[in-house]
Amino acid sequence: MTSTALADAIRHLDRASSTPELVQATRALCALQDPEAADTLINVLGFNNPAVAAVATQGLIQLGRNIVPTLLVSLDARNYGARAWVVKALAALRDPRGLDLLEHALEADIAPSVRRSATRGLADLELDPACSDQQLQRCLQGLLKAGQDDEWVVRYAAVFGLEQRLRHASVGSSLTDQAVPMLRTLASEAEDARVVRLRAELALQRLNIE
Amino acid sequence: MIEPLSESQVIENLRQTEDPSAQYYAAWWLGKMRSRHPDAIPLLLTTLRALNDTPVDPDRRGVALNAIRALGLLQDDRAAADLRDLLMSTDYTVREEAARSLGTMGSHAAAEAIRSLLDSGVDGAGREQPSSPLLQEPCEALLEALGDIGISDAATLATLQPFTQHPRPLIRSAACRALLQLTGDAAWGEQLIQLLQHPEPLVRRGALLDLGATGWTAAVETMSAAAVEPSLKLVALKGLAEQSSDPAVLDAMDALL
Repeated sequence: MTSTALADAIRHLDRASSTPELVQATRALCALQDPEAADTLINVLGFNNPAVAAVATQGLIQLGRNIVPTLLVSLDARNYGARAWVVKALAALRDPRGLDLLEHALEADIAPSVRRSATRGLADLELDPACSDQQLQRCLQGLLKAGQDDEWVVRYAAVFGLEQRLRHASVGSSLTDQAVPMLRTLASEAEDARVVRLRAELALQRLNIE
Repeated sequence: MIEPLSESQVIENLRQTEDPSAQYYAAWWLGKMRSRHPDAIPLLLTTLRALNDTPVDPDRRGVALNAIRALGLLQDDRAAADLRDLLMSTDYTVREEAARSLGTMGSHAAAEAIRSLLDSGVDGAGREQPSSPLLQEPCEALLEALGDIGISDAATLATLQPFTQHPRPLIRSAACRALLQLTGDAAWGEQLIQLLQHPEPLVRRGALLDLGATGWTAAVETMSAAAVEPSLKLVALKGLAEQSSDPAVLDAMDALL
């Protein structure tokens, strides 16, 4: 059953028309910290209004991992902006149940912003202890693939992710064998985008790799 | 699955004249891929001749506009003189794209011609055309080009300054961007930050990208917090990072991924 407070907040949101009103109504909805608000917040991500979507995404993240199953079935095929925000929330929650979706988004989504958020998620997704080796492999495979993406921002996210994984996990040597050369390539003149080269140099430096 | 075109195929597509849509794509491709093929510049320059026909064929005009953009990206001095001539075109869009490309190339030799298009000021170059959203001159492109070219003499600054009072916020933004690039004076950066709070999303986006182009790292936090989509913030911060090489900008980008 929907609480009165939630019903009120949703009504306010429905009535809001300007961006400041929408932001305020979305904030109020987030403040309830009610998991029942998740569907409405996900709906807000589709308004094509970055100020409002940023608030809703934070609200969704604060609802925690209980909403992961809802997020997993909420990708809007027709709105890549909304998909990027859902993937961003999923990435921030770091729930291992998100792995399939992140992998698929990176592999198949036409929108660079969605692939970027998915790559970011693979950087520090928590691993299920029952199959952590296998999941870590999948995360790294995804990051290596992202390092070859056509869009600079996805390659940038790949550098970030490879640095995270190499720094924190007890990574098997075969993976380091591929991840380090990838970082070296992205730090070299073979990489078009100067910002990616700068970031890859920084990653190598932080990992103490010559 | 369509096979990607090879560079030599693209060059042949630009050389032929039967199919303007193949030329259109070829001109775009050579710029996008930063082609170093020896025929690329001469062929792109050849397509510009269609702009002198009367009347101008609309398809060939489209090819020429793509060629102007590609020549800017390829940064080859052989194109500078032809692009400078196009600043005098009667076609507004041709003047606009030529200015953008000359700015991208940092063409010092073009600075005076670009400045002269702006010299009539806010009430001349910056006046609205009757029943059209366009101004008399493509002011945004011209202002940005002066900033990118980077000559900060008194005459250039005197030309730019009045446009910081233009009624259109995006023109003000372009003028502040150029002045910040040329003088490093934080006062122009503060004006851009003001524009970043503008109620119109389009103005916020423009001001954000203008800040990114300046390399003014004092703006990093404000840019990160702006009410603009993260993908555009990343593009703007990319500009800032590449201008400044400041690792703090990379940290800000990491946080937006």
